[in-house]
Amino acid sequence: MTNLSIVGQRIPKLDAAEKATGRSKYIQDVTLPGMLYGKILYSKYPHARIVKIDTSRAKKLQGVRAVLTGEDIPAIRMGVYKDNPPLKAGKVRSYRDEVAAVAAIDLEIAEEALNLIEVTYEALPAVFDPETAMQKDAPLVHEAHKTNILKMPWKLHYGDVEAAKKVAAHIVEDRFSATWVTHCCLGTSGCIADFDHDNHLTVYSNTQIPFLAQKDFLGTLKAMGLTDRRVRVIKPCIGGGFGSKLDTYAYEHVAILLAFQARKPVKIQFDRKEEFTATSTRQPALMDISQGCDENGKLLFRDIAMILDNGAYTSWGATTPSVMMMPISTLYRVPNVRYQASCVYTNNTYAQAMRGYGNPQATFAIESSIDMLARAADIDPVEFRRINANQSNEVSPQGFRITTCGLTECIDKVVNEIGANDPKKKGEGVGYASLIHVGGGARVYKSDGCGTLIKMDDYGKVDVFTGATDMGQGADTVIAQLVAEELGLHIEDIHVIHTDTDVCPWDVGAHASRTTFVAGNSALGAAKKLKEQIVKIAAQALDTDPQQIELNDRKAASREDKEKNIDLGKLLRKTHFSPGGNMLMAEYFYDPDNENLGRDFKGNLSMTYTFGTHGARVRVDEETGKVEILNYVAAHDVGRAINPMLLEGQVYGGVMMGIGYALTEQVQLEKGEIMNPNFRDYKILTAKDTVAIKAPILETTDKDGPYGAKGIGEPGCVPTAPAIANAIYDAVGVRIKDLPITPERVLAALKRKEGVDSCGIDPLTEKAYDCS
Amino acid sequence: MKPFTYLIPKTLDEAVSLFESHEGRSAYIAGGTDVLIKIKERKLLPDYLISLKHILSPDRPLLNEDTKELYISAFITHRTLERSTLVQRSYPILHDAIKNIGSVQIRNTATIGGNLVNAVPSADGAIPLITMDASVNIYGTKGMRSIDLIHFFLGPGQTVLEKGEILTEIVVPPLLPRTGSAYIKFGRRKAMELPLLGVGMLLSLGEDLATCLKVRIGLGVAAPTPIRAFSAERFLKGREVNEQTLTEAGQIAAEEARVRDSIRGVAWYRRELVGVLVKRMGLKCLKRAGLKNE
Amino acid sequence: MPKKITFDLNENETSVEIEDHWTLIYLLREKLGFSGTKEGCGSGECGACTVIVDGAAINACLYLAVEVEGKTVLTIEGLASPNGDLHPMQKSFIENGGIQCGFCSPGMILSATALLKENPAPDDDEIKHAIAGNICRCTGYVQIIDAVKKAAQPETEKVKVVAWQSDSDT
Repeated sequence: MTNLSIVGQRIPKLDAAEKATGRSKYIQDVTLPGMLYGKILYSKYPHARIVKIDTSRAKKLQGVRAVLTGEDIPAIRMGVYKDNPPLKAGKVRSYRDEVAAVAAIDLEIAEEALNLIEVTYEALPAVFDPETAMQKDAPLVHEAHKTNILKMPWKLHYGDVEAAKKVAAHIVEDRFSATWVTHCCLGTSGCIADFDHDNHLTVYSNTQIPFLAQKDFLGTLKAMGLTDRRVRVIKPCIGGGFGSKLDTYAYEHVAILLAFQARKPVKIQFDRKEEFTATSTRQPALMDISQGCDENGKLLFRDIAMILDNGAYTSWGATTPSVMMMPISTLYRVPNVRYQASCVYTNNTYAQAMRGYGNPQATFAIESSIDMLARAADIDPVEFRRINANQSNEVSPQGFRITTCGLTECIDKVVNEIGANDPKKKGEGVGYASLIHVGGGARVYKSDGCGTLIKMDDYGKVDVFTGATDMGQGADTVIAQLVAEELGLHIEDIHVIHTDTDVCPWDVGAHASRTTFVAGNSALGAAKKLKEQIVKIAAQALDTDPQQIELNDRKAASREDKEKNIDLGKLLRKTHFSPGGNMLMAEYFYDPDNENLGRDFKGNLSMTYTFGTHGARVRVDEETGKVEILNYVAAHDVGRAINPMLLEGQVYGGVMMGIGYALTEQVQLEKGEIMNPNFRDYKILTAKDTVAIKAPILETTDKDGPYGAKGIGEPGCVPTAPAIANAIYDAVGVRIKDLPITPERVLAALKRKEGVDSCGIDPLTEKAYDCS
Repeated sequence: MKPFTYLIPKTLDEAVSLFESHEGRSAYIAGGTDVLIKIKERKLLPDYLISLKHILSPDRPLLNEDTKELYISAFITHRTLERSTLVQRSYPILHDAIKNIGSVQIRNTATIGGNLVNAVPSADGAIPLITMDASVNIYGTKGMRSIDLIHFFLGPGQTVLEKGEILTEIVVPPLLPRTGSAYIKFGRRKAMELPLLGVGMLLSLGEDLATCLKVRIGLGVAAPTPIRAFSAERFLKGREVNEQTLTEAGQIAAEEARVRDSIRGVAWYRRELVGVLVKRMGLKCLKRAGLKNE
Repeated sequence: MPKKITFDLNENETSVEIEDHWTLIYLLREKLGFSGTKEGCGSGECGACTVIVDGAAINACLYLAVEVEGKTVLTIEGLASPNGDLHPMQKSFIENGGIQCGFCSPGMILSATALLKENPAPDDDEIKHAIAGNICRCTGYVQIIDAVKKAAQPETEKVKVVAWQSDSDT
């Protein structure tokens, strides 16, 4: 590749200075004239009939402009299963249920109004465990469905697993579990709904899916009897996403309904407690896995059954199996694969998308089990992985066309960097785990495309309107780098606008680590079209053959005669202010050449796949069970690093999130109620918990990615849990199969290993402590 | 927050009389990091907040050169204590504990007196002080009184303070020569933690630097209030301090502890931790006592 | 009952009428228009609202406005020079990837700035100790710690901030 001046550079994020000076406006900072404040009343029971709601006192409170309950609103159903109204009527199914909402002139009055709403409940028997909920006599969460088991198609079988089981030399079988964790975006959720005189709606929302949100809101308007209206979604600066804003939420629809009722803009802004209790989590999973290999360590089959706690309503959590299939069928080469997942209603909170979208959960089971299988076969776990590593230019049983694949190189790199052969002190161990993730978009909708509009102004500066969403990961900067490189401009000449559906072209959303690949290719395509136009007029202006024109350093110049050059701004002005003048603009919609999964879930979901391997060196304190990470290496095949600094940021951030997932984080539910809805008791890691992380980047230059790049937003948090679990096993010989791997679990396992069943006698009860 | 009037007395007498005149409708506030949260959560709804921050008092811990007692004004922030070289050098158990309470931001505002009065079972502030046999001075309408800190706590959030009384000062008696002290807060992450268990220990050794002349073992989150492991202390006193005796002391302390399950941790694990951490803190005290003697 | 307070806000003497129960963050954001200070939790557990009062980093969500009377308050808006030159800490965060979504950044940058005022050459542990009360979900802290370390090093060459240049750079 020719010398690149901007792609591949450690360019600071475009909006970093705005953020560093406190200028950026988040939803918290947006106000509109006459704006009202909305608040939502949540259920007091995990499962109950709503006998009566009396809002009369709330309505009479001075300053209150609108009060709504589930009875007052039209039929609006959120979520992929359409089982979730924004305000519940008839009954509540979880503590998180929205029962009523008010809009008032200030927050204090809105809160007071909530206290004045009297709800009479009749408690119903509740169910909090999915396996119990599957039983015939379990309380029904949604009576109309006649069962708590959702009708979901998650079943696949490639090859013949039963036959493979019969011939396998070694088989391991176990159950793994992952519990609820949550995104903990520093900027809490919020939105403002604002109708104009003709009932066209504007919603300010920190959404990751502006155009799908637009569609959802149009649906809401239709249900309200407002057909043929326009919806505009404006994104203020987003204070963190990680998948939390991949679905529309009740509070957005509630804000719309309140705004319509009150004829004034309504803002709903979550506080931290609400952020924990009323936004959705990562999907928990009970995973039964068995894998087998032949005498030489070649994987023969992988058989997984999962039970997913769907909570009271359905959001993207129920679709995580579609992504879990990716590591299940394609992480390492395994010819026979069987998978089945049941999603079960309970009266718990519900899950939606979270970084990795099911991949971390599945990879925890798979990679822990791989380690166990390697040891059962008496093969070094690293060697076992090499034996089964995916290679370039292969097609997996699920039909994934693997183009570039640097998995083996990643494994080797990690082994090198983690000091695999360094002497281990007592309690120290090393563990590995690999990952596969979509790296070239993911066709989960009718389109996986992203549009870009680009225009150059009279000064040679460029505006790029992209459908993509930046939520801190650096989409804006990567796009600007690609455009600047293509047009020979400086990075500060590029202005990227991604904030307004009225202005930006369509994009399906910021998910599946697709933004660099898809939005990048889209921006590149638009820039190339613009370049054609520039080259054409430059050739005319310089009286040269267009083939000779180069764009570099804000100029168009003739390659053979450098004296013939013109400043781009000057060129544009010439073009604009002459008879028959025109402006330079281009558009390009890029929809990657990937496939929707078929009925058998086969299909090339992504144009390319990102691979990686993580290695963890841990020290286990055998007296307390505490696990300390001494060293962590996360190597990824990223195709090409458009911006190594921002890429590293994604890896470091993903790894720390993943370490929290592995060791400390859990949303603690007790009979459906979240007991730790704050940062004090939800153990998100602090700066003092950082570990020594190395993030080597492998570039395999994918032929389809922009300059060869693949996605990297999610991989950092995918294999952390099994890498650490495997390291713990290597260190002290205990296998923890439930996340998070708390010191209690490790200590209890160590004691069991020593044959100590009880953990002492409780002097008060004189019974043995249950050390589970 | 529910509105209140903020009063700024300049002396203890003024503070106490303001409290009396707004009897039942007022509360004291020092740094505010506990009180303001309680008001936000509607657990405390005073009409008057009486600030203790502007009462004239020593701005750093002071060592009485004659009696060798350490006087810590209750109105000093944790940050002042953290940065005090006197405390770092001569009262390492206190430094161990204070530097990890909350965050720099919290420690810059929160006072040590407020910490003690808040009386949470985790008691990071109380344990090291109890382990050093500290007493506290209390001022009220009836004047000044003094009480050993170990008797100050009645239950979670409950102290012996009568209505209107103010904790004014902490007094730490002189430490014996060849004393080593240490505190550990055991948590799931390394900062911003309420401990699963807190252990403070003090060992004063004989001239052989091995025999235990005096021992104090303070436990936090091992009971509804901070406690001392008296049986374990009795076991160690007079014995040679080594890994074996410390292990046994730890086992005795574990049995004394009245740990329970909570969302932060389970009882059996806390019990395990008592045994392990008492042993480890004992070893650390041994080392520190030896070092100090040089 | 409203009270009048006077204090130094970002080197400007500021007089304003306040209510006793207003927190400093409420005063800054809702009354004085300084929206750079962010509320992440309202209970002193995340540090997003960190501002510097009389040289000390504090959580504005748990600090009463009435208590800034006579004091010096520095918010993120006051960190850059009056002529627009970014503070070295801001530059370092920008240059070293210390900012992603940016919500924690004002508080984080101020915590780090307060640290360097007290301790101009902190090691890694001292940096982590100083910013332990500032939660970040995006960066994993690595590039933040790097940024603080680099800000502490003396400027041997002019650090070019690509995305922003003041006139004084020419």
